[in-house]
Amino acid sequence: MSVTIEEVNYIAKLAKIKFSEEEVIKITSEFDSIFNHFKSIDSMDLKDVDLNVFDKDSKSVVRADTPVIFEDKKKLFQNAKAMRDTYIEVPKIIE
Amino acid sequence: MLKLEEMSAREIQRALLNNEFTAEDMIKELFIRIKDVDISLNSYITLCEESALLKAKEIDEKIKNKLPLGRLAGIPIAIKDNICTDGIRTTCASKILEDFIPPYDATIVKKLKNADAIIIGKTNMDEFAMGSSTENSSIKTTKNPWDLSRVPGGSSGGSAAAVGGGIAPLALGSDTGGSIRQPAAFCGVVGLKPTYGLVSRFGLIAFASSLDQIGPLGKNVEDCALCLEVIQGEDPMDSTSYNGEINKDYLSSLKGDIKGLKIAIPKEFFNEHLDSEISSSIKASIDIYKRLGAIISEVSIPITDAGLSAYYIISSAEASSNLARFDGIRYGYRTSNIESVDDLIEKTRTEGFGVEVKRRIMLGTYALSSGYYDAYYNRAQKLRKKIREEFSELFEKYDVILGPVSPVLPFKCGENTDDPLKMYMADIYTVNVNLAGLPALSLPCGFSKEGLPIGLQLIGGHFQEAKLFNAAYALEKELSLTTVNHLWKEEVK
Amino acid sequence: MNFETVIGLEIHAELSTKTKIFCSCPTTFGAEPNAHTCPVCLGLPGTLPVLNEEVINLALKAGLALNCGINFINKFDRKNYFYPDLPKAYQISQFDLPICKNGYVDIEVDGIKKRVTLNRIHIEEDAGKLVHLEDEKISLVDYNRVGVPLVEIVSEPDMRSPMEAVEFLRTLRAILEYAGISDCKMEEGSLRCDANISTRILGDTQLNAKVEIKNMNSFKELQKALEKEEKRQRELYTYGEEYKIKQETRRWDSGKGRTVPMRSKEDAHDYRYFPDPDLLPIIIKQAQLDEIEKTLPELPDAKIKRFLNAFNLSKNEVEILVDDKALADYFEALVSEGCNPKSAANWVIGDLLKLLKEKEISSKHIPVNEHSLFKLMDLIEKGSISITAAKEVFEVMFTKMWEPEEVIKEKGLSQISSEDALGALIEEVIVENPASLNDYKSGKLQALGFMMGQIMKKSKGQANPKLVKEMLETKLKGL
Repeated sequence: MSVTIEEVNYIAKLAKIKFSEEEVIKITSEFDSIFNHFKSIDSMDLKDVDLNVFDKDSKSVVRADTPVIFEDKKKLFQNAKAMRDTYIEVPKIIE
Repeated sequence: MLKLEEMSAREIQRALLNNEFTAEDMIKELFIRIKDVDISLNSYITLCEESALLKAKEIDEKIKNKLPLGRLAGIPIAIKDNICTDGIRTTCASKILEDFIPPYDATIVKKLKNADAIIIGKTNMDEFAMGSSTENSSIKTTKNPWDLSRVPGGSSGGSAAAVGGGIAPLALGSDTGGSIRQPAAFCGVVGLKPTYGLVSRFGLIAFASSLDQIGPLGKNVEDCALCLEVIQGEDPMDSTSYNGEINKDYLSSLKGDIKGLKIAIPKEFFNEHLDSEISSSIKASIDIYKRLGAIISEVSIPITDAGLSAYYIISSAEASSNLARFDGIRYGYRTSNIESVDDLIEKTRTEGFGVEVKRRIMLGTYALSSGYYDAYYNRAQKLRKKIREEFSELFEKYDVILGPVSPVLPFKCGENTDDPLKMYMADIYTVNVNLAGLPALSLPCGFSKEGLPIGLQLIGGHFQEAKLFNAAYALEKELSLTTVNHLWKEEVK
Repeated sequence: MNFETVIGLEIHAELSTKTKIFCSCPTTFGAEPNAHTCPVCLGLPGTLPVLNEEVINLALKAGLALNCGINFINKFDRKNYFYPDLPKAYQISQFDLPICKNGYVDIEVDGIKKRVTLNRIHIEEDAGKLVHLEDEKISLVDYNRVGVPLVEIVSEPDMRSPMEAVEFLRTLRAILEYAGISDCKMEEGSLRCDANISTRILGDTQLNAKVEIKNMNSFKELQKALEKEEKRQRELYTYGEEYKIKQETRRWDSGKGRTVPMRSKEDAHDYRYFPDPDLLPIIIKQAQLDEIEKTLPELPDAKIKRFLNAFNLSKNEVEILVDDKALADYFEALVSEGCNPKSAANWVIGDLLKLLKEKEISSKHIPVNEHSLFKLMDLIEKGSISITAAKEVFEVMFTKMWEPEEVIKEKGLSQISSEDALGALIEEVIVENPASLNDYKSGKLQALGFMMGQIMKKSKGQANPKLVKEMLETKLKGL
């Protein structure tokens, strides 16, 4: 199966990355050859492989319901580029 | 002059404890050398001179007052720049994290600090660990210490080059599809990818969550074993970290006696794609193993070919999800011309990510998208389960699997950047190990005619690091390869 | 043509845990923006989720209380989409292996019983909150709510009217609150509801295009929104324009009093679900389930039945009491003090509930101790205080937390019930009002009321009215 330019544009939208027209063409052809190569897994017989088989004897990994406060909020938000009081600021969102 | 570049981590520690020099003097000299050598090598992104000096003084005090010392006391260590260090810039060699300062330490960094290691700096890598040459770094290009016109391998190229270039006795890297083992082989050093789950991933900026592992790179097997003893262990902050019994002592099992060790050699690994010099070098080592009493058997694992596809589908899919959080809103690079939130997110990611990262995100998004999930991601996971089962079966009969690390010798900078598929294919020997969650070690086994390092790979069963270390140790002793490198010789001139 | 409305509800309830689902930040409501955050829930690079064990317990409790089947092995999946209130750009949820499946809730509307079946219950994490500024082109993000554990309860499209939907939600809410799974406050957002509504010709069995409605913040709004949408859809059918009903999401605008289409997010539907590789599957053991079953309290249905059997109360009274567990518990405590159930119900449903609503106090923090209220009621029984005065006393007890005797003493509200004292007052009034006496004798019975008023005035309202009436009537008849 070959990858189309429309598909690449759709995927770019999903991934929230913008490509120029040339870049899209390049990616489409790269993907085509890469996915062609992936055909090697098409031929494998995987009917009897069940991914939802889990070890019933193992235990869930959990933690206790005990509050722990991350005190240094200034440090926590030191990388934020735009803040208003203690809120993070972004361009207005219209819902 | 302390000749630090020739000393292993344990040798430095012994010398410190024997009062041959102080940690402070040692660190000062190390940084002089780093600043000198790294102009050509470019292995470090950030140097931590001040804090390293402080730690060194602290250790000198402890030694003077005969206070208890951590297991890595006084050992300078370099850390790959995708591992979070509190208060120290952590970039993943990406523009999108160029000014990111984590407010917390990765669990293994905490362990290193508790063990009194001295953190020297953060090393260069392929952006977000995606690549096999460190050419995908958006910050700088690292060179191979054995030939500055060639790549150090990747994605832990900075760590490997620092060790191979004699400016870090020990380093940490991460391995998702070969990113510790391949650069270790390219730079003539030892590198270990531990069993998945043995070392905590908390604080490792994720590439592919089900494949990533942090591991040591060092001048010899012993140093790597010591490092693993310190960094391994269950972590309540990482749900995937192993909570069963683990071997706490690797050093004492380094006896070098491997009589009766059952070594399997997959015949698919030695085909026409493997460079003939690498092939000969590895075969010579196989002969040494025979001589030492190991039992060599040829096996067949044809599934490993399809494993490459499964690896790229799974790792890209997980990466596409893990990297979606980079949108400029809470941290990292934020684009400046913003009209809306959508704009902010899209422009930040377009401007902040490099070509290879974008390519993998696109690949992964595609593989997970509706209509393709079953054909790609789901099938890849099923294939992965099968691969895991096949390896488990092999390890019921054999102790270790031996093979190459890379099909090619360290290549020239810029040689492979235009052909992504070609780059991906070169991972053929390493990716299946990550898919199966097995431990594997890269050991220098020789040099090419042109003096380029060649490494071989030893793969073990789950949590069989002790066996792995011992097998490597035996060969290492026999080979006694020089770790004196090109750069150092240049300096003496 | 007869139409049938088909409604299904999707409910999100915040679980009553102390900490978030994947990190140890507190979950208390009303903190300063971003006060309850840490590297994990902010999704800082390198951080990983670790599941809160109480989340499993509460989700299982919900499953048991709602008669669900439990998936002994269930797992987490990532739901991938971009939005500023979602730090990791994916929500950790459950896709194909949720913790509970099926289940049902029995409801009663207009005396008709009905069973609403459930499709599933799954666990997921909440997202943050956005504040949109009026006068600037800025929105603000508060991540306190990110990572608060939710259960999503999905019903089958079994409801056939807005009333049924509201009754279903009411019943479900009560069950969740009773079992201590969630405090279910729609006004605080700990209970949220989206509805799916479609229309078909009565008798048809296929499901037509369903419209999803969001942003209903109370039971009233749910009812209004569904009624409006039901009307909108039926009108389109009436004009032969039913093709205009398309599968979409509409927002309930309470200001405009109707549903409005939301901006379509075409790519929003490709969530690219895949199992979260940072988390292991949840494995439930039978022993764990049995333990949780033991912690289930008497649920509303059972309590209603028991109250109806044990106490002589009307169905309406029982329903009001049972609707609020704390209130029901208080009522029962009163009865066990020795109170007459009818009087207890009157006080609880009447004066107590009124004051709680007025002063905006939760039924979980009733400031009047049952024993104190019982004492007050006892004083009324004995005649030491009139009912009118008692109401005043109660209000003081409620606001100042005094004991009834203290209030009565302080305000001099003792009721006069001594026959001597009352007799004297009656005498006085009769003597002072000869015209009234004549009126009464000539058959004008209102004169009695007038004289009673005079007696009450003279006694400053403290005369026991019942006794006064008896004695006055007796006296007048004898004259």
